[in-house]
Amino acid sequence: MRSTQEQDDEFRSSYPNYNVLDKWFSPDWDDQTRKVVRDRLEKVPPIRFFSETEAQTLAAVAERIMPQPDRTESGRIPIVPWIDEKLYEDKRDGYRYEKLPPQRQAWQQGLAGIDETAGMLFKGRRFVELDAESQDTVLKRIQKGDPPGEIWKQLPSQSFFEHMLLKIVVKTYYMHPIAWNEIGYNGPSSPRGHVRIWEDGLDPWEAQEEARRR
Amino acid sequence: MTQQDQNMDGWSLSAPGIHGELVPMRDWSREEVDVCVVGAGAGGGVVGAKLAEAGFSVVILDAGPHWDPMNDFISDEHASTKLYWTDERITGGDNPVELGTNNSGRGVGGSTIHYSMVALRAHPDHFRRRTIEGAVENTDHRDWPLAFDDLEPYYEEVEEALQIAGPTFYPWGKPRRKRYPQREHELNASANVLVRGCAKLGIPVAPSPIATLSAPHEDRPPCVYRGFCNFGCTTNAKSSILVTYIPRAIRAGAEVRGNAMVARITHDSRGRATGVLHFRKGSDDLFQQRAKSVIVAGYAIESPRLLLNSSSSLFPQGLANSSGVVGKYFMVQSSEQVFAKFPERINQYKAPPPGGAITEHFNRTMPGVGFVGGYTIEVIGPHPVDFVAKMAAGRGLWGAELRREMFDYNHFSALGMVGTVMPNRKNEVKLHGTERDRYGLPVPHVIFSYHENDKRLIKHSIVKMKEILEAAGGTDVWSDHRTSHLLGCCRMGDDPADSVVNADCRAHDVPNLFICDGSVFPNSTGVNPSLTIQALAARTADRMRDMARRGELW
Repeated sequence: MRSTQEQDDEFRSSYPNYNVLDKWFSPDWDDQTRKVVRDRLEKVPPIRFFSETEAQTLAAVAERIMPQPDRTESGRIPIVPWIDEKLYEDKRDGYRYEKLPPQRQAWQQGLAGIDETAGMLFKGRRFVELDAESQDTVLKRIQKGDPPGEIWKQLPSQSFFEHMLLKIVVKTYYMHPIAWNEIGYNGPSSPRGHVRIWEDGLDPWEAQEEARRR
Repeated sequence: MTQQDQNMDGWSLSAPGIHGELVPMRDWSREEVDVCVVGAGAGGGVVGAKLAEAGFSVVILDAGPHWDPMNDFISDEHASTKLYWTDERITGGDNPVELGTNNSGRGVGGSTIHYSMVALRAHPDHFRRRTIEGAVENTDHRDWPLAFDDLEPYYEEVEEALQIAGPTFYPWGKPRRKRYPQREHELNASANVLVRGCAKLGIPVAPSPIATLSAPHEDRPPCVYRGFCNFGCTTNAKSSILVTYIPRAIRAGAEVRGNAMVARITHDSRGRATGVLHFRKGSDDLFQQRAKSVIVAGYAIESPRLLLNSSSSLFPQGLANSSGVVGKYFMVQSSEQVFAKFPERINQYKAPPPGGAITEHFNRTMPGVGFVGGYTIEVIGPHPVDFVAKMAAGRGLWGAELRREMFDYNHFSALGMVGTVMPNRKNEVKLHGTERDRYGLPVPHVIFSYHENDKRLIKHSIVKMKEILEAAGGTDVWSDHRTSHLLGCCRMGDDPADSVVNADCRAHDVPNLFICDGSVFPNSTGVNPSLTIQALAARTADRMRDMARRGELW
């Protein structure tokens, strides 16, 4: 087990003093964008689609795909509630791979499949009961397309992992202002635009980079 | 009240410009109009506006809202998914196409609301690919029934209308007779990377012609380099159809109706189109719009879908489909993207995503490469949500490694290509056997597999883009598969036995039915298609006007 200090270092951003929300009242933010981001921060939806078991499994999976060990429970970027909302409202993406069932069914099968594979690889235990390394083993088998389990005979695991699970978890993480801060993203920009658009050109309202890691 | 709500009450912007005042929407519902246009995007907006200005009574319907840029467009990636066509479509084949994002649009303006604005003319050779390249096994690529010279005046016309900003001298394609209306844009960091890499390798590179203002034009201000072009322009600098042709259509008396999803085209016993049946938001009723002619402009999936959904006892295979090729020869343009890391801050979120530089050096059939066709190399500028999805998919990365790699987001620069794809009869859009959408209509089933020629072209482009990025000083190079621009499914040709429309975009089988969008392309070009779609639409409007004068239209 690594120390907290090591974990903090692992995720130390090059923009420690940048907070995109400091620009809330600046000409970078218009009213409609403020409303969208305020809702994202303050109106995190309740779990309405997933069962408690499914939500627990997905939370554990999301923590492996976008780990946040450096954050307190209240300081974390929520992932599961937004995926749940998409499924509760059954908001589609505009396409579905012909080998995958409709999204609600795919998610229920997929999450059950993750637990089934965990159980087969690790003595009947659920995914949430595994240590991080074993959880990664399960996810890598699913990503590679050769996980044990009956469910994956119906649901193509690679496609579920790449096209549904991985994509939505990472996208949900980076739609949050906390994620914008750690990568130095300028965030909303309406109506003010940019002037210094060349290499190393920084407008005064852009994130200043300190101590780049590599 | 947002513009979306207002539309439900039958209101529309008079001119959705900076001033944005509202006037009652023209309402032709109870009358038979001269023309009903289905789809208010690159094709439908241009042809509808020009016909309205020529004195035709015109109704333009779009399935999505009539956007108000200053209130409806949001400076946020996730919130902007409302600009896409997100109704379910089933995608299959060896290389199933990811739909619903960059290659779709829903709402007045269509995908020009979020397109990257690269405004290129096709080359004269693109219209004669079969003659130049000869037959290629397992494809049916062919010459267009019209030549570049037929479109040249219309390229000039739409470039003027959109106020394309471009260089004084553009080195590819047929030499220009006129300068671009506006001066070229400044280069952003990623464009400088492309220029630097090309210079090192001796590859010609040039400023990119882009459909956003570099100087004020009428009531629209120049671009301020917000970089949110793919999420709707809030300042109206971007020359989308919504702020260029649609205001012209409205001023000329056209009805532009958002939230109107067309379910089928109706016809009389002689097989002539009589109008369309459509759903309006907030009602389950089917509304009829009677029209003396119908123009379908729904792009390469919705256009063939509408024709197939309009089958009847007279047209059992679907409207205008006696040839059986409606829905066939579906094409994408390949659009591989290559990324590299640089010591400098690139900040790829700044300025229009095409960056301001381009090379069409490989946009020609090259000797000794093992494939026909070519591609353009352009600059892209993804924001974090889009970028992380590419990195996760392209490199199979996740976990702590991904989160750490994302800390360098501001140091990545990227190139993307737009490549030709061979037309193949097996690639198609058909109606799904069982799945239905929210209107109860059969959903589209899209089948796509790359041809061997396409794969070789893609491989070649990845090598070239990597070389350019590395020559410019980039490291950690990786690439992601992607497609863009849907084409084909209602191809044009002279022979009614194997094409859907003629060179005037007029259906062979139904003389008062026209198709005006990317679906009529019989082969793909190596450039972004919007300007060619718009030029074709501008030409079609003139042809229809002339036919009407001669009494040949109805």
